[in-house]
Amino acid sequence: MKRVLALLLFSLPPLAGAGGFVDLRDAPVVAGDAAAGAAKVAVCVACHGAEGNAAVTAFPALAAQHPGYLYQSLAGFRRRADPASPMTPQVQSLGDADLRDIAVYFASRRRSAPAVSSAADLPGARLFRDGDAARGIVPCQGCHGATAQGHPLHGTAPRYDYYPALAAQSADYLAARLRRYRDDGQVDTSNALIMRGIARNLDDAAIAELAAWLAATPRESTSTSGDYP
Amino acid sequence: MRPHRFARAALPLALAFAPAAPAAADSGDGVDLAPGNALLANGLADAAPDARGTSWLRPGQRRSPAGHLYGCPLEPPTVEELGEWIYDGRMQLGGVVVNGDEDNALWNRYVRWDSGLVLGLLEIALRRPADGSYAELRASRLGSDDGFIEAAFGRAGSYKVQALLREMPNVVSDSARPIWNGVGTNDLRLLPSLAPGASDSAAVAAAVDGVAPQRLQVVRSRTGLGLDAYLTPRWIARAAVSEERRSGARPFGGAFFYNFLFPGNAGVLETVRPVEDATVNLAAGIRYAGDRWRMDFAYDGSFYRDRYRRLRFESPFALTPTRPGTTSAPIYQGQFALEPDNDYHNLRATFMRRLPWNGELGVSAAAGRMRQDDDLIAPIDCAGTFGVDSDGSGVPGPANPFLHACADWNTPAALSRASADLRIDTYAFDTHVSVQPLPALSLRGKLDFRREDYRNAYLAYNPLTGDYGYITENGAQASIQPGALGTWNPLTAPSAITRVRSLPLDRQDYGAELGADWQLAERRSLSLTLSTRRDEPTNRERSRVTDDSVKLAYVDRHVEGLTLRASFAVIDRDGDDYVSDPYWFAYSVSLPGFVAPAGGVPAFTVDALRKYDLADRREHKANLSATVALGDTASLSAGLQGDWNDYDAVIGRQVYDRSGATVQWEWQPSPQTRASIHYGADRARLRMANVADVVFGPDGSLGGPDYPLNGRWWAYDKQRNRNAGASIEQGFGPVRLDLNWNLVDARGLTSYRFASPVALAYFADGLTGGDSGEFPAMRYRVDSLSLGASIALTPRVALRVFDLFERGRIDDWHYLGLDTGRVIDHRVYSDGGPSGYTTNLIGVLLDLRL
Repeated sequence: MKRVLALLLFSLPPLAGAGGFVDLRDAPVVAGDAAAGAAKVAVCVACHGAEGNAAVTAFPALAAQHPGYLYQSLAGFRRRADPASPMTPQVQSLGDADLRDIAVYFASRRRSAPAVSSAADLPGARLFRDGDAARGIVPCQGCHGATAQGHPLHGTAPRYDYYPALAAQSADYLAARLRRYRDDGQVDTSNALIMRGIARNLDDAAIAELAAWLAATPRESTSTSGDYP
Repeated sequence: MRPHRFARAALPLALAFAPAAPAAADSGDGVDLAPGNALLANGLADAAPDARGTSWLRPGQRRSPAGHLYGCPLEPPTVEELGEWIYDGRMQLGGVVVNGDEDNALWNRYVRWDSGLVLGLLEIALRRPADGSYAELRASRLGSDDGFIEAAFGRAGSYKVQALLREMPNVVSDSARPIWNGVGTNDLRLLPSLAPGASDSAAVAAAVDGVAPQRLQVVRSRTGLGLDAYLTPRWIARAAVSEERRSGARPFGGAFFYNFLFPGNAGVLETVRPVEDATVNLAAGIRYAGDRWRMDFAYDGSFYRDRYRRLRFESPFALTPTRPGTTSAPIYQGQFALEPDNDYHNLRATFMRRLPWNGELGVSAAAGRMRQDDDLIAPIDCAGTFGVDSDGSGVPGPANPFLHACADWNTPAALSRASADLRIDTYAFDTHVSVQPLPALSLRGKLDFRREDYRNAYLAYNPLTGDYGYITENGAQASIQPGALGTWNPLTAPSAITRVRSLPLDRQDYGAELGADWQLAERRSLSLTLSTRRDEPTNRERSRVTDDSVKLAYVDRHVEGLTLRASFAVIDRDGDDYVSDPYWFAYSVSLPGFVAPAGGVPAFTVDALRKYDLADRREHKANLSATVALGDTASLSAGLQGDWNDYDAVIGRQVYDRSGATVQWEWQPSPQTRASIHYGADRARLRMANVADVVFGPDGSLGGPDYPLNGRWWAYDKQRNRNAGASIEQGFGPVRLDLNWNLVDARGLTSYRFASPVALAYFADGLTGGDSGEFPAMRYRVDSLSLGASIALTPRVALRVFDLFERGRIDDWHYLGLDTGRVIDHRVYSDGGPSGYTTNLIGVLLDLRL
């Protein structure tokens, strides 16, 4: 019954956009039980590392990621049910509450990636901060923050919890994700629609520069579900 | 840039005005903005609303900060790929049929509605995502003189090149019956059936009757080229050049002395003047935007060139001297100087710097020069003689003093110099500063200075005759009234009072402003602004005028869904002593050798007159507006405005009050439905007092012998305007219906009263027994109703069908009687005046996605 309710909730209007996409602009805060989540991640950590600090760079680090983004990513795997994705079988048996618990758990874990002192000198730093008008690349910091910790307005409204922190994320994963935005055209959330347009002008060199700088930039804190009025 | 999106994204109020199609395209102000046409006001048939809203970044976004509903955005175009480029395009074409008064001038104002094929819009946009390159083309053609084409290409963040070509008609008359050949040129020759200077009213009336009504219009065309270059992210350079040409003709004047005091004599003619000119505008500048500093350096230039320097016309009427036993020389040729070529240059530099406390300091300085140096035209255009032949000899000379040789006046040698050589230099300096010393307090201050210096002046002097001044009325007055040449001569007319010099209006003014804005509480603010402006005109009745003002404004958005704005201002104007005649130096009374006439030099005007731009005045202005959100889908706005002016003038403007109210309701329950209703009304009251001079004497006092109290009269203007509209749009799947109704209604009434018939220039008007009355009401009313349907036939093809019914009514007493005859005594009217109309426009348009 809980699962049925969860599916019903999942299809409620706030998340169901008029154009066949999940509308995150007015999505609610993602709340869950981190302790309960810790008990549900045994399978996850096999790939994503203990406490979400992945050792294999092809897999994204989940530690200290914002819970809204984590939850929506998990929900997306279940929603799309892509048979080619290894995540599909992992999430099919999980209920919506499970996804929330897992998301909140990983968000509360500290990212353990080592900081690189020369990160500011990397070419990706300038690209992230200023973009490149001549190549049609917009600055990333507008939505991901000056130091890639998440949206600059994170904490002021639930919608900003759905913008990921990019700092200290694996470079390989970031590069692959950006290429997917650029090449695959698979978008099913309002935020992904933003990224599709932005990634269109990212060439491989720009992606590599951005990913390198982001991977070398420290994640400054963990994340929790916000307490919004 | 997609203007149809702008049109559709505008508030419903804008849509509500859409049926007033002739007004949808303006006459040319702001011509470098994206051009449009009357059809685009109703949007394109395939422009469906986008239910996804206005922004991916925030939900809702349904209202502006002031609480008004945004229009639902339109779906973005579906782009196609072409190699590295992506593109989208659309074309709207079809036909319109106009029935009813399709030639009416008001109906055709600023639009050319001809039945037939129209290209509503051709729009193509190409993008190359790899580097941000783009190219765009837009074009439209509604009729032979109504269309545009614009193109732009560039690369985002690098450069942009724009080009524009546009034509727009302005029909000024649909019923002109000029009695001249050569309409559209600067040489009007009377029709062959009329003898110049020798025809009577009946002959002229017969000639008018033989002329078929003509359309007079001025077509404005503009060509422009602009370049923006982003040199670095900090520095941006821009340059633009454009040429605007006007071509056509419009009703104009043609005086041969006034007629109403001289029945059967003189001639007051409505001619038709040509409009054939071009203005080249140049603009260039470079701008810097840094973290602390911002700078802007700019040049603007404008160069006006008129094809014609003067308009020549022939008068059909004979001139008869008032003195019995004399004759007039048969002159019939009149002329007008047309607008002179002129050049304008302006250089401007602006610097702004950030200050601590979230402050900013700005300084701007500008200098300009306006110059004209056209060759001057001779004072008169006649051959032989003009004036009154007293002795019948036909030969000018001491024995025949009121007859003049045209050769002494019809050549540039009769002028004091060959060209105008006039210049105005302008200077401007502005500075402003603002700081925020406390989170809830902002302070601002401003100083500015303006100055205009007139360089050079013209003295009207004829070295061939020794006369000063101008020939009046093309010599007609001198041919009716012996000696009334309009000039002063130390030997032959030492007491003649006439204008002999140009009037330089040098001036400077400076102002200061101090203001503070308090954030009283969250979403509540109060601002106070104190300002003073000192105007120092030269050669005016006052040499100093000061306007002091205090303004209080309050904005309250504390209550959710309610935006309340209120402001109140008091402006007080006074100045130094008021001198009724600062212009004496421009008249012959200032010349050495002037001899005061018997009885003294007449007063220039009554001492009690206070011209309204310099009179002491107390002004109160108040505004109150509120916007209320009615749920998520509707809003209601209302506003009250008032502006009350009391002038300290016994003679002159005394009161000018304006007040108005507006109310508007908007409703957008879904992307498929929207509706709006608006209503506005305003009224104005203008009261002025005047006095007639009964004697040309030296006493300018009110109540004196020259300006007696029984010569006083008063005029009272009342103006009332209303506008209203309603619109609704509803989508039913692939079909969208829209219905719009609009009303514009203006009514003006001028009443008058006078102390006695002495007040009237035309005494017969005062002999009817009353001492007050009113002119017939002026009325202008347009009702329009449109019904349209847009049907998406396929994803790429849509059909729009619409009907626009419009009815215009106009009452203008200035033209009363002209429908029965254009010739009244010796007054000849070419234009019959504006007339009402009833028209119906049906359009069938096909929208194609390319």
